[in-house]
Amino acid sequence: MYYRIIRNDFLKSKLITLTTTLFVAVAAMLVSLSAILIVNLSSAIDSLMNQAKTPHFMQMHSGDIDTVRLTNFAEQNSNVDDFQVLEFLNLDNSQIILGDRSLANNVQDNGFSIQSEKFDYLLDLDGNIINVSDGELYVPINYMKDATTKVGDKAVIGGKEFTVAGFLRDSQMNSMLSSSKRFLVSANDYAAIKSRGSMEYLIEFRLKDLSALGEFETAYASAGLEANGPTITYPLFKTINAFSDGIMIAVILLISVLVVAIAFMCIRFTLLAKIEDDYREIGVMKAIGLRLSDIKKIYLAKYAAIAAVGSILGYALSLMFKNMLLENIRLYMGESENSFFATSLGIIGILLVYLAIIAYVSGVLRRFRKISAAEAIRFGISQEKSAVAKRVCLNKNKLLNTNLFLGIKDVLARKRLYATMLAVLVISAFIIIVPQNLYNTISSTSFIKYMGIGNYDIRLDIQQTDQISKKAAEVLEYMNSDSSISKYTILTTKTFKTKMEDGSEENIKIELGDHSIFPIEYTEGRAPAKENEIALSALNADEMSKKVGDTITVIMKGKENKLTVSGIYSDITNGGKTAKAIFTDHSENIMWSVICAKLSDKALVDETISNYADRFTFAKISNIDEFVKQTFGSTIKSVEKASLAAIAIALVITILVTLLFMKMLVAKDRYSIAIMKALGFTNSDITVQYGSRALFVSIIGIIVGTLLANTLGEVLAGAVITSFGASSFSFSINPLSAYVFCPLLMICSVLITTIIGTSGVGKIKISENIKE
Amino acid sequence: MKNLIIGEHIVKYFGEGDEKHNVLDGVSVDINEGEFVAIMGPSGSGKSTLMFALSGMDNVDGGRVTFDGSDISSVGEAELSDIRRTKMGFVFQQPTMLKNLNILDNIILPSIRDNRKNVAKISEKARALMKRVGIAELEMRDITQVSGGQLQRAGICRALLNSPKIIFGDEPTGALNSKSAQEIMDIFSEINAGGTAIMLVTHDAKVAARTERIMFMLDGKLVSELKLPKFDGTNIDGRIGKVTEKMWEIGI
Repeated sequence: MYYRIIRNDFLKSKLITLTTTLFVAVAAMLVSLSAILIVNLSSAIDSLMNQAKTPHFMQMHSGDIDTVRLTNFAEQNSNVDDFQVLEFLNLDNSQIILGDRSLANNVQDNGFSIQSEKFDYLLDLDGNIINVSDGELYVPINYMKDATTKVGDKAVIGGKEFTVAGFLRDSQMNSMLSSSKRFLVSANDYAAIKSRGSMEYLIEFRLKDLSALGEFETAYASAGLEANGPTITYPLFKTINAFSDGIMIAVILLISVLVVAIAFMCIRFTLLAKIEDDYREIGVMKAIGLRLSDIKKIYLAKYAAIAAVGSILGYALSLMFKNMLLENIRLYMGESENSFFATSLGIIGILLVYLAIIAYVSGVLRRFRKISAAEAIRFGISQEKSAVAKRVCLNKNKLLNTNLFLGIKDVLARKRLYATMLAVLVISAFIIIVPQNLYNTISSTSFIKYMGIGNYDIRLDIQQTDQISKKAAEVLEYMNSDSSISKYTILTTKTFKTKMEDGSEENIKIELGDHSIFPIEYTEGRAPAKENEIALSALNADEMSKKVGDTITVIMKGKENKLTVSGIYSDITNGGKTAKAIFTDHSENIMWSVICAKLSDKALVDETISNYADRFTFAKISNIDEFVKQTFGSTIKSVEKASLAAIAIALVITILVTLLFMKMLVAKDRYSIAIMKALGFTNSDITVQYGSRALFVSIIGIIVGTLLANTLGEVLAGAVITSFGASSFSFSINPLSAYVFCPLLMICSVLITTIIGTSGVGKIKISENIKE
Repeated sequence: MKNLIIGEHIVKYFGEGDEKHNVLDGVSVDINEGEFVAIMGPSGSGKSTLMFALSGMDNVDGGRVTFDGSDISSVGEAELSDIRRTKMGFVFQQPTMLKNLNILDNIILPSIRDNRKNVAKISEKARALMKRVGIAELEMRDITQVSGGQLQRAGICRALLNSPKIIFGDEPTGALNSKSAQEIMDIFSEINAGGTAIMLVTHDAKVAARTERIMFMLDGKLVSELKLPKFDGTNIDGRIGKVTEKMWEIGI
């Protein structure tokens, strides 16, 4: 019997059934896709890091190195499983030419290594450890992605010719968030170019048990070993590797939750309308003694069928689309070993969607309990009373055109019905605006403030050279007399020892200088303003469990100094563990200096950079926009893709739901439409009435959706961003697009769809519908 | 007297192919200005369809309908709507009111479509009409809060508000008890006395007996006609007798 009921019902309302199925399918597809992507991403990262044997602890170091002392430390520390020191040859980017393109404008620290012997291997695209021959050059994968070069190209490195033999995956430096990139050459070639660059060391440890990492970090710091450079640990490598695709997955997950909500709304709407249509029949069924559960089953059967078909379709679609979205993960991380687990988790996701729909339909059907058999048979309509609607009277309306008035009045009178359309439009507006604001935020220059970088135009990095302070002074002197520079500051990073609660000592890198010139965003508190103040990066504050107002002990020249924490900020540079202070320190243990400058005319950026690059060959000079683009480029691209997809999805949802809604409304209101026509209202009058209902609902929907996007959406997007190291977050909104273009786009689609959806009005014959 | 409506050889069929059948089979009919006519016939004889055709609510498949000098079988939908709104009034068997509007709003609805600025004036006129038909106190009520008879009176107010040339009534007393039905018919007589033509479709000999010309339909054709003197409130039984006699004669 159920089969017959479902079939008849489907034949009677093809469009509505198809649309609902489609929404269920899209919701199921997105849920399944996010499940598949999450598993694939995390397992691809795991397998990449396993194959490459990523170090658990890595200390970058420039300057002299005492290998014997390090080896002794490694041998004596019981946590250490393996230890090595790799060389990383920093070459100025202008000395690297791939094919016919020079990397001179590149902001990455490009360096050269030989294949490691024990762990931290550089892998080819099949995941094998690369064996490199003389004359061959393996290039980091990102230069394949952005088509800088291709296999077979000639390359000139430090004057020596190479052939690009392939591309490599580097489990440490793959991500664009990592500022260094490793090229691979043979030992002989390495020796040949060694003199052309400056040496940096990667002091690497593998531990027997990763859970002992904290203990090991403390031990390393307390031993006073080489530490002139960032320290990066296994979990941070993981986070950096997951960043770009992680954000994309988060956006998909967010959209999938919303589409599930929309599928629910569609079901609620069609179900409510159906219940209203069948009100009398339900009353009759109750009157003749059918049980509530029997009646429910009839309705549930249809939605169980829709949910089943939709879920299966959605799953099939997710399998079709997954390759497209996995492309980036595959390229950077390689194949995941857990594809079976991923597809099964996808199935579990789909099952959850299915069960949620059944539970939801059952919930909506509880309404049956309230239907009184007698009332239903007698009146046949469920009367919704609305106090607001009663007060809005046509005979008091002088302001609005009669058709517009009737449209708005109808919305007020049948709020419950329109609530569904409203909810869908709110969600659509939300889906359009949140990813777009997110994109706009992370692509805006002010976003870097959240990442620990101030708002300046160019930066000069002076590191890995002797006499950093002297060279920096040289630059500052020149800048002082350079009229094209409107303001500048120097920030010098030095390493100090800090005393932990348990009495142990740890290294802390403190950036000294005037932090008020190019301020960054502080999550809590403010920049250090007094000599005895210090600001900590979120990761540092977290690890030391310090809040604003707490004090930390820093050892300077053998003396313990208490510094008060004035603020906490987000930072993803230098491993995320940094600190800022303004006290003066004349010790020469400078790790690096950064000179930041803002130009009086931003158009002169390229000219100024080449001028400084020629003059100060020891410094690495970068255009901050370029720096941001190259660092966050792939993340921004992912979010842009997601935000464009979100607009398309939301518009399709809006159009489909409006079409569905209007068609159903016209079918439901046949009688009222016939009365209107009999009384002399034209078809276009009626279309205007429906248009004004749609317009009224969409305006409210867009306003509510935008408000939600800017509040709840900001919190949600902030949660995503903060999980990657930035701790405070607020949207930077492009008002033209968010408040003008997108609302207009939505309103136009709603209105056009309404006109199409109500085209059936002309076909309603008075004579056939006027008699109830 | 001048013709208000001229229907010539009106053909209307329902269904397609083998199921196609003529509901109006070449009907010709005229209605004069200020005339009070009734159309009688058994169910399915085509009387309501004729009314829909003459009022332009349904298009015809053959023949021609002229209303107040214009051929309404060939004008466009918008123009036809304008004619219905400004020159015709309708009262149906079931109270055809919009659920979302109160009684007064339902009454003024067609009149203020083009006249929003005069809403106060129109509302005043509506209130006067409501008073005249005895429902003055109901203006703010919902349509579900009043009786069938009261709704029908509201429907008459709505039909009258634009001062139409004719009021069409499709079984306007069909759903009412005999007392209410008589009151409604009194109102119709009063309206007609003011010069508005009225065309009623009815089964009821008592209703038809109030009119001055009764047309009888059978199987889509006009088969007979009965003329009566204008009703002056007297001899209703004698008039009913004549109508029933004619019905017997035709076999309705």
